[in-house]
Amino acid sequence: MDARVSGRARYAVDAERPGMLHAAFVRSPYPHARVTSIDASAVPRDCVVLLGEDVANLGPYGCQVKDQRVLADPARHIGDVVAGVAAASPGEAVAAAALVEVEYAELPAVFDPVDAMAPEAPRVHEAAARSADEAVSIGVRPIAGSNACHRFRIRHGDVARGFAAADVVVEQTFRAASAAHAPMEPHAALAEWEGSRLTLWTGTQTPFNTRADLAGMLSIPEESIRVIAPPMGGSFGAKTFVRLEALVACLARKARRPVKAVLDRADEFLTLNRHPAVVRVRIGARRDGALTAKEVDCWADTGAYADCGPGVATKMGYAGVGPYRIPDVRVDSLAVYTNLPPNGAFRGYGAMQSVWASERTMDILARELEISPLELRRRNLLRDGDEFATGEVMRDVHFEECLQAAADAVDYEADPRGKGLCVLLKGMQTPSRAAIAVERTPVGYVIRSASCEMGQGVRRSLQLLGAQMLGCEPGQIVVPDPDTDTSPFDTRTTSSRSTYMMGRALAEAVRDLRRGDGERGFGEIRNEGGLDPDTGQGVASTHWHQGAAAASVSVDEETGRIAVERLHAAVYAGRVVNRPGAELQNEGSMLMGLGAALFEGIDFADGQVTNANLSDYNLPAASDVPRLTHELLEREGAEVHGLGETAVPPVPAAIGNALASLDLDLTELPITAERVLAAVDARAARRAGLEARR
Amino acid sequence: MRIDLLLNGRDATIEARADEMLIDALRREGLLSVRATCGLGVCGACTVLVDAEPISACLTLAPQVSGREVTTAEGLEDSDPVARAFAEAHAFQCGWCTPGFVLTAKALLAERPDPSDDEIARALGGNLCRCGSYLKISEAVRRCAS
Repeated sequence: MDARVSGRARYAVDAERPGMLHAAFVRSPYPHARVTSIDASAVPRDCVVLLGEDVANLGPYGCQVKDQRVLADPARHIGDVVAGVAAASPGEAVAAAALVEVEYAELPAVFDPVDAMAPEAPRVHEAAARSADEAVSIGVRPIAGSNACHRFRIRHGDVARGFAAADVVVEQTFRAASAAHAPMEPHAALAEWEGSRLTLWTGTQTPFNTRADLAGMLSIPEESIRVIAPPMGGSFGAKTFVRLEALVACLARKARRPVKAVLDRADEFLTLNRHPAVVRVRIGARRDGALTAKEVDCWADTGAYADCGPGVATKMGYAGVGPYRIPDVRVDSLAVYTNLPPNGAFRGYGAMQSVWASERTMDILARELEISPLELRRRNLLRDGDEFATGEVMRDVHFEECLQAAADAVDYEADPRGKGLCVLLKGMQTPSRAAIAVERTPVGYVIRSASCEMGQGVRRSLQLLGAQMLGCEPGQIVVPDPDTDTSPFDTRTTSSRSTYMMGRALAEAVRDLRRGDGERGFGEIRNEGGLDPDTGQGVASTHWHQGAAAASVSVDEETGRIAVERLHAAVYAGRVVNRPGAELQNEGSMLMGLGAALFEGIDFADGQVTNANLSDYNLPAASDVPRLTHELLEREGAEVHGLGETAVPPVPAAIGNALASLDLDLTELPITAERVLAAVDARAARRAGLEARR
Repeated sequence: MRIDLLLNGRDATIEARADEMLIDALRREGLLSVRATCGLGVCGACTVLVDAEPISACLTLAPQVSGREVTTAEGLEDSDPVARAFAEAHAFQCGWCTPGFVLTAKALLAERPDPSDDEIARALGGNLCRCGSYLKISEAVRRCAS
């Protein structure tokens, strides 16, 4: 029986070490405030308190911009950690943390990424922080004197020329709310020092990035840190880069005992969320539907710290171009600091927000042109050999098949009313590197890989691929937890890259094993590339995640309630390795997309999360599942394509476009009943206006 | 205080404070399939069966199970048909919520051996799976239907 079914699976929350203490944190109640004094004298003597002076000599950290300190001063968001406590039990730690008296001097704060770019906006970080060099794969381009920690641009052709050639130009601005990853397992980390060596047990998708960042912060060699990554109870991007690891490492060093931290649900909402975003799209086309020019402006709200916001803004930027042939393209995508909790990687990595805007705009354009939305897309989709806005020549292109499959599933061409489509392209982490080792054992093989298991089934995929390549049963292959001491280097478990990258590395390792003594083999794959952040030209992705979705909806115009009658996604898989696993990825992605479309949004009041629990923040439940189908497109001889996220971004736009087919124009996510009612009113006003003019 | 109960088929005595939640007492006993997640009784990841009824261990005081029968996933046989159906239908991803779903499904099937799709969705409404495995979870429950 699989340990996940029997209940015997163990996660980072279950990790224990002899003599370990439990951590609790003192968090700022202000969105932006200097700490003027901290008095921990009331804390019981058997507790350990971590204060600013304990960490004053430590360096900054951050995966793409080194803008974070172990303890914050100033605090830059509500919930920023200003002190830590370790005690014998979690309850005692929480009680002790409540006894730490902190006085603050409030500073002006900003909560919206567009407001934050105003010249007079409060600065979240006084000085532009140093770019991180280790984990970063993009050149970070802060805008001096502003809250933008990164600006990504695409300059492709000449948009003035393109718009001049257009018969019709439409422009619209869209918003998407922040959202909670809400992995069922909260963040958990346990640190233990033995002399100058640190061991961490932590639920993470990024063991090597975490090790490198901590080594820089602690000024110790990377090899002095060991990161062990047990399977996660879900992550979806939440457990990437340094989260609790720096805090528990510092508490454990001061306590001279192992220290563990497990977040409670409310604190999850203060730790890492999805980027709220504003995306403005302007697009021009000739009367026959041929696209001539497109401009995309994105404001990705990265919150108090950059985290991987520069990477998210980059992907948001080029995903917003869409899988279309457009001669002239300009994209300006900003990662902007605000005084919200930090926002980071979230399944889709910024693509959902810009695909929502871009694909909604396509339907607005189709209406203006009086061309079917399906036909407008067909006429412009990228095909094999076409050039994308990044200058890349596209190969193994299947956008049209994906789109047609989605359209057919809802019988779109027979009657498009109440139905909507969306097609997207999404890149994979590029450049990146993956290495793997295979060792023969008396009963089979051990495969050592730093690909982290979070429910996506990477362990099973490696067993299946290994069994195929090595000629044994999957059950004869053991895949231990990632461990930076014994697992070869991997960039990280993100962007749906593991089966594709590790699968190819494994083929190398098996070849190496066969060439050598048959006992051990090592394989490494490097994918080169990357985009010039100033022009957006280069290699965005060494292969493309391609997909489409279709939705069919009905609307109760009295209550604003939407019923999704049908939801279908078609995803290009190339070749499926683990069929049930691939199906689960599609189904899970579609349901996460459904949540993003209809009800998931973090509510803030002056920087304070007002729905920081799973009662007020609604996740899709069994009874929310519509009639949902999907397909995985395969091609003989094709390479494996990642599919862990592809079906998330198209769902909100497909539903939004289904509403647009009923003349209900939605521009903000989630599509709440209130917003639907406002769209019903706006339609009535529009129609009345038309009537009056007649 | 000492609490006597039938725990996973055996007479047991557990120690707990009078104001302690059942989830903490059970985890202290090593029953780590009972998982603290929402703390509000809305997600079902800490579901246990008390006299065959699914309850949230995060909302139940430990003394409330005195003299009653408590079953956690650890108490299920490897041959348990519902657990087997979940495994065979691949009705899980990360596995965090799975024990709670299995126990809730067992209670549903005990009461309604042949539930409709609507009844399955309703009965599972108190269990959340963020990985979104619901289609295969429903399939697992249907496989057990008589």
